[in-house]
Amino acid sequence: MVFNLAKKHTLIVEDFAEFARSVRAMLHSMGATKADIVYNAEDAIEACKSRKYDIVLSDYNLGSKKDGQQLLEELIKYKLIKSNCVFLMLTAENTSAMVMGAVEFQPDAYIAKPFNGNLLKTRLQKTIEKKDVLHPILRSMANKNWLETLEKIQTTLPEHPKYRMSCLRAKFQAFRELKRFDEALKLVTEIVSERSVPWALEGVGEIYYLKKDFTKALDIFKTMTKEYPMVLEGYDWLAKVQNTLGQPVEAQDTLLKAVKKSPKALARQKSLGELAEINNDLNTMTEAYRNAVKYGNNSAFSSPDEYVKLTTALTKQLSDDSELISDKIRNEAERTFEKLNANFSSTSANLLRSNVAQASFYNACNEAEKVEKHLSQSKKYLAEIDEQISGEVSLEMSTALSELGDKELSNEILNEAIQQNLDDPEFIKKAAKISDNRDLIKTSQQASKSNLQAISFFKNKKYSDAISAFAEAHKLSPKNINIRLNYVQTLLKQVQNQPNANHMIETADKLISEMPQLSLSDKRYPRYSELNRLTKLTLQQNDLVS
Amino acid sequence: MQNKKENIFNMVLASTVHDMKNSLGMLGESINFILSQIDIDSLNEQTKDYYGVVQYESSRVNNSLMQLLALYKLENNQLPYNPNYVNLSDFLEEQKIKHLPLLEAKEIECIIDVDEAIEGFFDDCLIATVLENIIGNSIRYTRQQIKISCHQNSTTTIVVSDDGPGYPESMLQMEGSYMLGINQSTGSTGLGLFFAQKIAEIHHHKDKVGTINLSNGGELGGSQFEINIP
Repeated sequence: MVFNLAKKHTLIVEDFAEFARSVRAMLHSMGATKADIVYNAEDAIEACKSRKYDIVLSDYNLGSKKDGQQLLEELIKYKLIKSNCVFLMLTAENTSAMVMGAVEFQPDAYIAKPFNGNLLKTRLQKTIEKKDVLHPILRSMANKNWLETLEKIQTTLPEHPKYRMSCLRAKFQAFRELKRFDEALKLVTEIVSERSVPWALEGVGEIYYLKKDFTKALDIFKTMTKEYPMVLEGYDWLAKVQNTLGQPVEAQDTLLKAVKKSPKALARQKSLGELAEINNDLNTMTEAYRNAVKYGNNSAFSSPDEYVKLTTALTKQLSDDSELISDKIRNEAERTFEKLNANFSSTSANLLRSNVAQASFYNACNEAEKVEKHLSQSKKYLAEIDEQISGEVSLEMSTALSELGDKELSNEILNEAIQQNLDDPEFIKKAAKISDNRDLIKTSQQASKSNLQAISFFKNKKYSDAISAFAEAHKLSPKNINIRLNYVQTLLKQVQNQPNANHMIETADKLISEMPQLSLSDKRYPRYSELNRLTKLTLQQNDLVS
Repeated sequence: MQNKKENIFNMVLASTVHDMKNSLGMLGESINFILSQIDIDSLNEQTKDYYGVVQYESSRVNNSLMQLLALYKLENNQLPYNPNYVNLSDFLEEQKIKHLPLLEAKEIECIIDVDEAIEGFFDDCLIATVLENIIGNSIRYTRQQIKISCHQNSTTTIVVSDDGPGYPESMLQMEGSYMLGINQSTGSTGLGLFFAQKIAEIHHHKDKVGTINLSNGGELGGSQFEINIP
């Protein structure tokens, strides 16, 4: 294969200007004429917004702000690089120390500094070659088209035995996503029986977990953390399994070990905080969320969660500490609220959550005036909300408001959440504990029952029975979005079988048009968007006007 | 008390090594850039020798610090070990390329002899650090040639041999205890071999553990280093 960089656009991300220029000189000597230089991750993101680069060479250490790993995560998350873009991470250290992030956000290759132009050339050549071969598979995966992924692997693998492991890994992911657990398990078990490849070992445990065989999963992850004590995903999984098996204390202990080895992981710190909260370990909880805020600060995955949880932990500490420490805590909490409001004030839902947390905090400080102020703010933002609030967050706010004595606001949030989450038995169990609205819980449970029955009709292709059951569920809980979407989907299905069913199309259109707004980040958004498109299309085909 | 003192020294040492590593990275980058701007053929013999010294010594210090850091982490159970299937032809080619400027400056021929399709199962970062040091030493002591080869049965064996004077007898006799080779008065290369042994031992499969082996004679008549990965 001819190695030609002439047509490739390269972005060099490096805070040390001289070195950036020397890398560019290396690229020039390989025939690359189009190489841009930026000195930090923020500028790299802007550069990737205006141009689709073929190659990104990024230093791991980029001064004080985002590092190279966080840059990569953000570029992938917001689809700012093409699926065939080659991302090379330049590191100052032995690179296996870096291989500790989430698996889905790995660079295509690492290269340890200092390196010479010859090494950069081979590394680039090999990486581009590999990416070119695997591109059809990677593109299907990026589109979450798992059946197509399997087809592409089928054609690629026999011709490129060199990339066998990458293909098998992709195949495993496809099987897992398609919930073909037996095939997935067989694949990784075979790999592991030959050699204990870390990702395959993790895969075995993961499938046992998904098959709810928690004892076997526990064994696997115990083995994995023992054999590969520095592969930290093993600890994340072990803790998850331990917690599922009702051992939150052991789970916390497991995560503490991982955090000690590598504190810089947002998701891990949040899981640790959750476990510490379950275990009533206030100090660990505070420290974990403090770190989550700290390390998440520049991450694309940062969310209000860790900020609010940190203030919750601090609020809890206030009650039993001396005055001196209280001042310190108060300071930290107020700074955290400031950062929360600075970073996440774009939606009413976030502002509501922040104000409820602030009301709780000032209540613990015995400052009635400020409590009043934040409660009235909360009321204002609740009235403005036009997006969905997750069940967990609703429970958090409702509980806090109820403790503050604002029953009305508490109920308003909880009642809405019950109607939205009635098909989640875990949520309903928690909600039933704090709600005194027995009628609503009962109606919601009935709606959930009808919904489940309707889904079963749908699966057996009894569409008209499904329609009646969904109609019943919708009538019982008109606000629930999942029921609404199910109902629309079934109506559209039935229209296909039974033309001229104008009333069904009109019902579907009414359901989807009058639905509460979904935010773009909502998991259900793609489904909503597709059903909305289909509904409008069906309207047109049947000469009906929306 | 004594114990506490040692701990402090260890910690200071580790963070100093880290610091030095960063400075050295910058130095190395700068040196590489300056050297890449120089046309070797235009240099006189003496300058050419200095060119080689700058190349060799800067990569040697860097490699020593990498080993030091890795050994520190190993002792504190923090050394990442993340093995995977590695294509040996690609891998060994890269190890040669790392030394290419020096090989060219010293006009040493480096032959790679490996079957295209051979795959080994090891942590490529760790083994690369081992080989960087071994190849660097060979370049220092060889006359004209170095050969890097690989063969495989149940274990994967990588061999680095040269046509230099070979290992001193004292070193050959240290088999299995290369720590003793670290000799302060002579500045011996014991650290590299000690490191190689430790990294070999991390690699294990079923009941087998990795080993290293030194000999003289070998394929090119000089020293011959072998690392066996089960």
